[in-house]
Parts: sequence; structure tokens; C-alpha cells
Amino acid sequence: MGRVREKQLSQVVTELGLDKQNGGTIGRLLNHGGIGQVEEDANGRMKIQIRIPEDELTYSPSIAVMPHAGELEIEFFNDDTNTHCAQVPSNGDYQWIWLPNGSRGKVTVTLDGPGYYWYGSNVGNDEGRGLTGAIVVMGDVDEAAKLDRPAQPRP
Amino acid sequence: MTQEYIDAPPPVALGNLSAATHNAPPVTKDLTYERILDARSEPENWITYYGAYDGKRFSPLDQINADNVKRLSPAFVFQSGSQGIHAGPSTYAFEAAPLIVDGVMFVSGWDGFLWCIDAKTGQTLWQYKHAIPFDVSLCCGNVNRGVAVAEGKVFLATLNAHVVALDAENGEKIWDTTHGDVRAGESATVAPLVVKDMVIVGSSGGEFGSRGHLDAYNIETGERVWRRYMVPKPGEPGSETWPDDGEAWQRGGGNCWVTGTYDPELNLLYWGTGNPAPDFDGEVRPGDNLFTDSVVAVNPDNGEIVWHYQYTPHDLWDYDSNMENILFEQDGRKLLGHFDKNGYFFVLDRTNGELVRVTPFVDRINWGEIDSDGKVTPSIYPEKEGEEVHFYPGPAGGKEWTHACFNPETELFYCPVQDTGSTIARRRREFKEGMPYWGAHVIVDSEDMKGSVSAFSASTSEEVWRWETELPMCASVLTTAGNLVFAGEPSGYLNALDARTGEHLWRFQCGSGHHSSPTTYSVDGRQYIAVPVGWGAWVEGFLPGMMGGPHGSAIFVFALPEE
Repeated sequence: MGRVREKQLSQVVTELGLDKQNGGTIGRLLNHGGIGQVEEDANGRMKIQIRIPEDELTYSPSIAVMPHAGELEIEFFNDDTNTHCAQVPSNGDYQWIWLPNGSRGKVTVTLDGPGYYWYGSNVGNDEGRGLTGAIVVMGDVDEAAKLDRPAQPRP
Repeated sequence: MTQEYIDAPPPVALGNLSAATHNAPPVTKDLTYERILDARSEPENWITYYGAYDGKRFSPLDQINADNVKRLSPAFVFQSGSQGIHAGPSTYAFEAAPLIVDGVMFVSGWDGFLWCIDAKTGQTLWQYKHAIPFDVSLCCGNVNRGVAVAEGKVFLATLNAHVVALDAENGEKIWDTTHGDVRAGESATVAPLVVKDMVIVGSSGGEFGSRGHLDAYNIETGERVWRRYMVPKPGEPGSETWPDDGEAWQRGGGNCWVTGTYDPELNLLYWGTGNPAPDFDGEVRPGDNLFTDSVVAVNPDNGEIVWHYQYTPHDLWDYDSNMENILFEQDGRKLLGHFDKNGYFFVLDRTNGELVRVTPFVDRINWGEIDSDGKVTPSIYPEKEGEEVHFYPGPAGGKEWTHACFNPETELFYCPVQDTGSTIARRRREFKEGMPYWGAHVIVDSEDMKGSVSAFSASTSEEVWRWETELPMCASVLTTAGNLVFAGEPSGYLNALDARTGEHLWRFQCGSGHHSSPTTYSVDGRQYIAVPVGWGAWVEGFLPGMMGGPHGSAIFVFALPEE
């Protein structure tokens, strides 16, 4: 059911012209540049490639899904004809990278627990136009940190 | 055709693109437990959350005093702002108490920020930013109340329920321990407390039906030494105050989200515990619901509860008792003083938890009555499904978490008072992990409210003076040997009052409401008052009449003009 609703949503977004710049309205619907799961190698190292397509002002995919907490290497490709950047959360400090036109660059970040983490291109109003993304960390916290109680019902 | 890409410049830590110097002098290297025990002997510093283990929030510094405070002026302002999308983008607030060690300030902000600042100039030395998911469960805004320092390290509890130890010279992480379960609605907002070779950290999450706990971690390794749950399992002491056959204890609340005090002679921590869950639907948890809404005297060596006193048994009003228990002596007796959300000022014998005195400290109390023997008689509370009741004080209490203080020279307690009511109706819901679990709808009054800074005698608990305000007072107060009390208002004014009379002596408009814990220190013989300013957090709970108040993110630091 959820998948059907998602397809319907994408279809409606396209029909309304919200999946493009200066289509149905000024910018592109936030976080609507697709979803991708990171690759994890045998050593547990997680990687993903994220592109900025020409004239779309979005990260593709704009939602990157990690199966669990840890270190993630993101390789950005700027296929656009304008300069952007990426400010990505990481424990200790944000990692920030310039992404000139037609450039590629790697950022490695550490995220220590489940949840949605924002990242974006913090120049001009790239963030508002569509260059805002999320890194999703799936999973649970360390067993030792869990509450001592029976499993509880969830929504 | 394959596209040829140029190499982007290498990534950098964002803090490297700032004026921060990225290193600090090694001021905390020799900051031992013994020094914290005797914190008040170094009045130039503020080395633990309350200034000293006794929780008095009193400084012996007197360069700034009642005679010259009218000349007090800003020495510098530190600002941060917020970036991007973060948890509670409309609720972030500056709630911390800045610590100062030999001219270096350590202060936490919202959303995992920690700053190390030159306490004389305001120059940022280094910054740490813990990555916080923006969907973390928060009842009361994106906030943090401060840090602890010892043995060359800074300790921070993060909003996603981790505890981290950083190198105090450069902010590099030394260890990171998961403290709570964000999938169970837990978070962490408390300022840690260093005791012996441990750092003590409490839980947050009472509005999500978590099971509150207090934990101790080894300061060198981050390994947990003990955990004490504040809601007992069936068969454990206190379990008789929960339903025999129910699941209520599993979601019972009793979180530990405000820093405790400590008596090293008795070797007892005094930690306040939060509301039972669900907050307002008591029918699903018949009984007194220990150890919620209590002060628990905890042996820091093993986490055992030695004694307890429950300020609001079977709470139906969200009257957490997390707030400070201030340690003081009277006629040779070891006592503690506590202003509870329920509107009563308690004085207990801190050797055994015996009630010495209990008196109301806010004008309007109608939820019930506590007699001089401590007997509690409820009168107005949410009972019937959907039927609204209105009571005083509202769920933010006659005093919120923001701290009172005690001046040993005037022998007076000073309390920031909130006099606001609330309309609440029981609305039963099923418990589901990670979802808010209040059991009610809640509308706090945004009219007919008032506040004060009220002074109370340590020997009788009688009110000695009050300085009245149009709006409830929602920030911690600070008192000094300069015969002063400092108190910030929701309107943005920071005020100085005469500690003996309550006479208003000085004020400064900081541009945003106060909801933090100001501290004081001196560098090179010059005294400073440090005041984090940034309105936000649980405004809908403690002062919805100021929901439209301006946000902010500054630390104002005041001093007398240099000669």
C-alpha cells in the first residue's frame, strides 16, 4: 500500500510540475530527487554516489539510506553548469565541500545513531530551491543502551 | 561519451572556515575531583554546573555589587545562529550554564553544539558539533543545559542520547558512549556531573513513556559503571506503588533530566526525578508511582537509592521534581531546599529525607493541598475522559526547571516564580513506543499570568520580599557576595536586584527572552557575568503568551567598565 501511495505521489508531483525548477512553481519540491541505498562492502565500509543534475537544483538521490550507523563515504558529482557545495553533518563538525561546475569530490562522515540527518548546499538559496537532502540511518541503538523492559508496541 | 570531471577542492571541517583558533590552554588538565569538592575556594572559576556541589548558585565574587551595578555594561557578545534543517527548528533555545576554568569558557548550545571560548575576549577557541538527527523525539525543544569538565576533558550529553568526552584543549573526541534509546523516545539534555572518577548523566523522555534512569560512566573510558532505573520492576523496592499485573512500570517515566547536587560527607547524590507517564492519565497507573516526582538520595559508588522523598505522589498535573535540591545547614542540621513545580517549597533533612517544613511559594495553587505534615490532598485533576479542568500552577509549575539560588550571607533563597494556570482534559491513548504519551489535551493559559523573583528565609521559609513581574519568570537566578541577585525575563531584560531588599538596581535589554542559567567568574581581577540568551524550548508549556517572542542565540557577558 505504501509503495502504491509513493508512486501516486511521484505521479502527482510530476503532473503538477513540482519535480523541476520553474515548473509548477519557483523551485523543486524538497527531498524529491529520489532515494538510494548506500553500498556496504565486506568490511562494513559504506559508500554512495550523489549527483547534481543540470538545471535541477537537487541531489540525486536526495535521500541516502544507511542500513546502520557508522562511517559513510559520499562521492558527489556536479553535473550542473553552476557552482554548488555540500554541508554534511558528521560527529565533530560538519564536513563542507565546494562543488564547482563539472567536478567530483568525496566526503566522509560519521553518524552514530538512527534518524534523519539533513545536508544541503548552503550558498544563495540552493537549499530552498531544492538542494536539500537527507541521510537516513536505519536500525537500533546499541543493545546495552536499550531500556530494561519487554519489547513494546510501535505505531 | 564519458564526462571528464575536475577534482573538487578537498572537504574541510566547517569550523576550520571560521575565526576559531582550534586550541585552548590546558586549563582543565589539573582540574581534579578534589578541586571540584572545594569549588568555592576558587571564585574566579565556575567549574561545575551549579558553581559547587551544593547547588547554591552563589559566588563569593563581589567586585560587581549593589553600589556599582548600575555601571554594568557588555564586555563582549558571543553569537551562533542556527544552520540548515535541525531538530525543533522553531524551538531551539539557549538553556546552558557556562562553565569557566582559568579564563576559558565551556558552554553547550542546542543541537549538539559545544563551544570553547576565551572568557575575557569572546574569541572562539574551538567548536564541537555532534551530528543530531532532526527526527529525534523532543518534548520540550532543542536544548542542552551544559557540560562538565575534569581531568583535561569536557563531557557532553547529546540530544540523541549519547555521552561524549572531548579533549578540552582542542575538542577532539576521546570517547562516545550510547546513553539511551532514541527509538524508545529517549534523548539527553542534562548537564553531566563529575563525581569522583565518574560522570553522572540522567535520561530524558518522560513524555514518551520511557523508563527513567540515572547512569554513571567512567571518565577515562566511557564505560558504564552503573545504571539506576527510577521506576522499579515488579518485586523491586517501590514496585508496590505500581499496578501488580500491569505494564505501567515499563513506560512509567521518572526521568532525570536536570543535574543533581552532592554531599561528599554523606556520600549522597540528590537527584530529582520527573513525571510519571502518561502525564495526566493516572487511571492506568494506580498507586503513588515511585520514584517519580521525587528526590532520590543515591550512593554514587553503586547507584543504590538510600532514601527518597516523593513531592507529588501519583502525579496528575505533570509536576516533575527534577529541579535543584539546594544543600544548606541550619542550626547544625544538614538540610536541603527544593521549590517544586507543585508550588510548594520543601525543606528536608538530607541525612534521611525527613520533612522539616513545607510552605507554598506561589500565590495561586488549587490543584490540591499539602499540609504541614506533608500530607497531599488532590482536589482538581483530569479525571473524566474529555472533561476539561483548569488548575494552578499549570504543568510548567510554580517554578520550572530553571534554578533558584541561595545566598549564605543573606540566608535567603531566591526563586524565579511562574504564576500561570492551565486547562487540561484526559484523553486516553494506547502506548506506542516513540510516540508522545500524555493521555490528555493541554492548553496553558496565555492570559492572566504573572511572575516574580521571591526571597524566602532559610530559617522559616517565610517570604521576605518579592520583585513582581508582568510575565512569569522562566530563567535561573544567580546570587553573589556583591549583595546581588541577577534574573532574566522572558521579555529580554536582564535585571540586578538588591539581595537583601529586592530593590531593582539595573537592567539591560538582551533582545531575546531568558531561559538559561547565568554564571559569574573573573579573569585578571575583573568580574564578569555570563548570560546565555535565546528564547525557545517548551514555550507552549511555560509561557504561551510569548510564543511569538524573538529567538536568539547569544551569550552576553557583562563587566564594570575598565578603569
